[in-house]
Amino acid sequence: MGSLQSLWKRDFIEKAAVKPLYLEVRRGEIIGLLGPNGAGKTTLMKMFTGIVVPTAGQLRVLGFEPAKRDLYFRQKIALVMGQKSQLWWDIPAMDSLQLLMRYYEIPKNLFLERVHYLASLLEVEPQLQVHIRKLSLGERMKLELMACLLHDPQIIFLDEPTIGLDLIAQRKIREFLLNYHRERGVTVILTSHYMADVTALCQRIVLVMNGEKHFDGPIRAFEGLMGQEKYVKFFFSQAQNEQHPLLIPWHPSFGNQGLEVELRVPEDKLKDVCAAILQNLPVTDFQTEKMPVERVMQELLSRTGA
Amino acid sequence: MLGTLKKYALIYREFFATCLAEATTYRMHFVLLIVMDLLFYATTLTTVDFIYQHVSAVGPWDRNQFMFFLAFLLTVDQLHMTFVSESFWVLSASIRNGDLDFLIIKPVNLYFLIFLRHIRPASMLLCFVTVFLLWHFGTKAGLGWVQFMLLPVLLILALLFLVSLEILISASMFWLVEGTGVNFFRMQLQQVSRWPDFVFYGLPRRFFTFVIPVLLIGNAPVQFLFSPFAFSSLLWMIGLTVVIWVLIERIWSKALRQYESASS
Amino acid sequence: MNSRFPMWLQTVYVAWSNLLAYRVNFFLLVIGPALVFFFVKFSLWSSIYEQQGNRELAGLSREAMLGYQAMVLIVSLLAQGHNSTRLAEDIRLGRITAYLIYPFSLFEFHASSFIALQSVQIITSSVVFLMAISLGLFTAINLVFVVKGLVLCFFVSLLWFLIQYCLGLLAFWLEQTWVMRVLFQIIAQFLSGSILPLEFFPQGLRDALMFSPFPYLTWVPAKTMLTGEGSIIYAVGILCFWIMVASLLARLIWNRGLRMYTGAGM
Repeated sequence: MGSLQSLWKRDFIEKAAVKPLYLEVRRGEIIGLLGPNGAGKTTLMKMFTGIVVPTAGQLRVLGFEPAKRDLYFRQKIALVMGQKSQLWWDIPAMDSLQLLMRYYEIPKNLFLERVHYLASLLEVEPQLQVHIRKLSLGERMKLELMACLLHDPQIIFLDEPTIGLDLIAQRKIREFLLNYHRERGVTVILTSHYMADVTALCQRIVLVMNGEKHFDGPIRAFEGLMGQEKYVKFFFSQAQNEQHPLLIPWHPSFGNQGLEVELRVPEDKLKDVCAAILQNLPVTDFQTEKMPVERVMQELLSRTGA
Repeated sequence: MLGTLKKYALIYREFFATCLAEATTYRMHFVLLIVMDLLFYATTLTTVDFIYQHVSAVGPWDRNQFMFFLAFLLTVDQLHMTFVSESFWVLSASIRNGDLDFLIIKPVNLYFLIFLRHIRPASMLLCFVTVFLLWHFGTKAGLGWVQFMLLPVLLILALLFLVSLEILISASMFWLVEGTGVNFFRMQLQQVSRWPDFVFYGLPRRFFTFVIPVLLIGNAPVQFLFSPFAFSSLLWMIGLTVVIWVLIERIWSKALRQYESASS
Repeated sequence: MNSRFPMWLQTVYVAWSNLLAYRVNFFLLVIGPALVFFFVKFSLWSSIYEQQGNRELAGLSREAMLGYQAMVLIVSLLAQGHNSTRLAEDIRLGRITAYLIYPFSLFEFHASSFIALQSVQIITSSVVFLMAISLGLFTAINLVFVVKGLVLCFFVSLLWFLIQYCLGLLAFWLEQTWVMRVLFQIIAQFLSGSILPLEFFPQGLRDALMFSPFPYLTWVPAKTMLTGEGSIIYAVGILCFWIMVASLLARLIWNRGLRMYTGAGM
């Protein structure tokens, strides 16, 4: 698998959308590109696929230079954009898929096989004959995914594939992607706003802010950036003193006029601390933080002022 | 080579099928398109007919010759409306909203995908009208069977020339981003092209024959049909088509580098 | 009424800066076509009259014809610039929902963009008018006739706006309204005398046309500006009648359309 090397794209107002950046992706990897809005994630994706031409730097995807738009390169990649649709609005999905069959020169029987395989995995068989404009966003997104996987691409670029979807639809899409990756061993490059996407799918995370790479490594290490700490939130039946000795060592941040508190506790002390608080204070409920990656990002963002 | 041809023929068949499926969804639109084209033909022909009720000739042409010239251009227009027109409007929209992204990454020739993607089945039906007009006024203008045999070739050459010119011009959409204006500009050029070149004088005539040579579209083939020795402008038109495609290759590759792709 | 004035003013202002922001497009969409149309007709008639040894055709001399075509250009710039592409888009994309909630109606919004466009077009057409005079396209200019014609143009622009408004409202039913607009453009251009002055039409057709609003869109105001022929009171009366018809129609279409509006794209 080729590498995506230092590349640099200059924006209209001479603002670099992506600054020098070194990135290498191995075959079969799933990597997540993270970053706030306007960080340059989508620009990167468009450079990887040859839509936008980088003004400087070197870029190799599957051994090709994307900007040259080689026919064979285009046959091996796929792109899904959560905000845009490649399916035709006014005709059933199946008609659009048939067009793609011709684009990618997929033999008819193989095509039908793939359609059947993907449609049953995604549970959209009944929707294939329905006009796209009559479908829900979730159903449409599944069909978009299907459209991009028809030609069995070696590398898939997913730009916010779950945006705007409800939780169930999001989960379905994630499960499908995991399954598909396990079966086909494709390389996946994903951007998302939802941490749940990233934690569920990606083995590796690349954090991009202001067009610069701020982190590149396994997801565990990313969580570890904050030290081995967990967030615990307690809810009380009466307001608590902000100087309470049980709380004060764990960087408390109070809310709701002292009725809530959030603590940062090292993982190895978690059990003891929680037990002590539950015993001594009028706790009505408590929860541990579910999405640490989001926290890390927030923290990094506030640190860099991005 | 044969394989490639087959691939594109199969793609084109799918284009047609999807456009037909879409057209049948909006029947009212389908009917209105036909009415619109018919009215356009009628007013164009009537205008010239009314003029000929007051004069016996415009330039060297009598009524029948002028009417045949119009029939030729209306046929070019009908072919244009059927096979390419819609695509130009879609192009300006897809540059603005970034839908072009999906075309760029497809393993198919980009010009093919952009300019031949959208077919208007409604306009196709009107070929009965235009063929009738060509035959009717052609016979009246005294065309022989050789000329009639040449007609399809000349129509295709004229259409090819017009479309090439328009593809070249539409590269500017990438710089302007808002491409509707460019499409209106194209339509103005078509309007100029619908008149015989002898109507124009001096600078405008040279401009529309050499710089933006829209006057060639109808005039070069029709003059050749009327007098076979007047083939120089037809050769000029064919030569220019080649030149335009060399320019298209150059300018479009620049234009695509310019493409910013609307951010999501 | 008084409190609504600032709303109108602000909307006109926004529409105005919008026009200026897309100057190139505005030129290519509105001014360019009118100029090209004039250029083609000017060339055509010049060459026809030259070939005819400058004799009168249908009672019009070469000067009268070229002057007429120049006036058609002025009238089209001054009164026929507005189109309802934006309105149709608003309806189709479900943006009108906002106006159902605002204390400023959709009609008021589009009327203010119309006013903004007109204010720009008054300047453009004045410039074109002065240029036409300096090029000697008008043999004699009578100020009274021109003022009469301008009064007519004012009413024509109102009628034109209302017709376009109705065509835009068809977006409630039609996926694409541009066909209707082009259709109207083709008919109006031909029947209003934009291409050929009505003198060239067969007498019977011409008489019949006078019962329609079309001649009043171009032929009547252009003739008035040139020759002062005909009663202006009568022409204004006719235009007001058609304006009433168009506004009633707009109301009817709006009420019908809203009933089936589903708020698509919300």
